[in-house]
Amino acid sequence: MNKAVERELLVPDTPEEVWDSLAEPTWLGEDASIELEPAGEVRAGERSGFVEEADEPSRLVFWWGAPDEEASRVELDIEETDEGTIVRVTESRPLEILSVRGRELAVELDLAGGQGPVASAAAGGAALVMA
Amino acid sequence: MPAADPADAVFSALADGTRRDLFALLGRHGEASATDLARELPVSRQAVQKHLGLLADAGLVAARRSGREVLYHPTPGPMSEALEWMAAVGHQWDDRLAALERQLASRRTSA
Repeated sequence: MNKAVERELLVPDTPEEVWDSLAEPTWLGEDASIELEPAGEVRAGERSGFVEEADEPSRLVFWWGAPDEEASRVELDIEETDEGTIVRVTESRPLEILSVRGRELAVELDLAGGQGPVASAAAGGAALVMA
Repeated sequence: MPAADPADAVFSALADGTRRDLFALLGRHGEASATDLARELPVSRQAVQKHLGLLADAGLVAARRSGREVLYHPTPGPMSEALEWMAAVGHQWDDRLAALERQLASRRTSA
């Protein structure tokens, strides 16, 4: 199961107004900035990252992380409803599964003859299966 | 092998109803054998054993030998770690969304 946190906000503004407001980065925290375009830079305190997807005015996806922590993926979905505009945030850590598999592979390689570093995983993987 | 991220292992371990019952039951007993636990649940001792193994992989229970018996006890450490991450991140988003709401409100009044 993926570890994720979800939050919602309902506001009377239009999705376009919400999107414009996202560009003023005060909401992200002190000393923050965000460029609302793919590959745009995201900064907030000691966290930094980049924008994966910017689909104005309905969806923004970015990655961020502090130097000492696993990167998180943040999805913001902005949806117009009869009651107003819903901003739905999901923050998750989808890379953790990759790091688990990487470590498992590294262990297997060590068992297969102490090849050691994960860097050799791609080359060593096929040989390991043959062995 | 145990997963590298304790939180993911904890969530998968607790995604199953029988394992949640087992974990709760162990919490009430403090310590119990697979045989004791199987008596209180509608599953076989073998099934209990298997579920305890998965809970142990996730670091949620630990076993010790006592004579001819193996006794299990809950070790809730990794669960608090997962819950702490969710609580901390959730709290941060409460603050950020509240700030976004204030931003939108001030735009409205200045418009």
